[in-house]
Amino acid sequence: MSLFRSEGHLAAWLATTKQKRGEVLSLTKVFELAAAWYSDPRDPAWRPRTRDESQEVLDSVGLTGDFWELPS
Amino acid sequence: MPKPTAGALRVHVYDKLLDGGRPPTISEIAEHFAISPADSRRAIAAMQIGKTVLPDPYTGEIWMAGPFSAGPTAYRVIGRHAQWFANCAWDMLGIAVIADEEVRIESQCTDCGAPISMRANPRTPPVAEGIVHFLIPARRWYEDIGFT
Repeated sequence: MSLFRSEGHLAAWLATTKQKRGEVLSLTKVFELAAAWYSDPRDPAWRPRTRDESQEVLDSVGLTGDFWELPS
Repeated sequence: MPKPTAGALRVHVYDKLLDGGRPPTISEIAEHFAISPADSRRAIAAMQIGKTVLPDPYTGEIWMAGPFSAGPTAYRVIGRHAQWFANCAWDMLGIAVIADEEVRIESQCTDCGAPISMRANPRTPPVAEGIVHFLIPARRWYEDIGFT
């Protein structure tokens, strides 16, 4: 998950590295994802999420579709 | 002394990370829990916290403890009392959430290397130029978490 200044810079990087474009999110959307995904691991009640719980987090911030489908 | 529980080790690792900016070493974990370095190494390897606490395959030291990186990266997060390195652009904002404080992020454009700075906090999105590219689809995130 790499940071770029703009779509133009991403396009240049994809051309240079010959990588296929994935999905592009705004910083606002990535913040929403980070806030929903991460909690403090120092909390004694913390536990790893199941695959389905992680998928629910992605769904909850609108990241749906084939690209965002976690492995079963 | 019995080996630390997974929960006790997790809390210790993240306490050290949040306080000092880096995870504890094998030696420090051994000393803290009064166990041998070999048992410390085994305890780290057994953590498997959501597939995001990973030991270095060669040294056994903690390499990443999501969203933190043990070593320098292009995503530096500066808090009130410590600074951390994130594994990626997603994680740099995750650190603000876990640290639960306003942070300054010093990063750069992956294409041209131009600096990108922003302030972030646990409650509101950062205001800054930039977009985040997810190269790998979610179904492959855990095949090689370091590359992802």
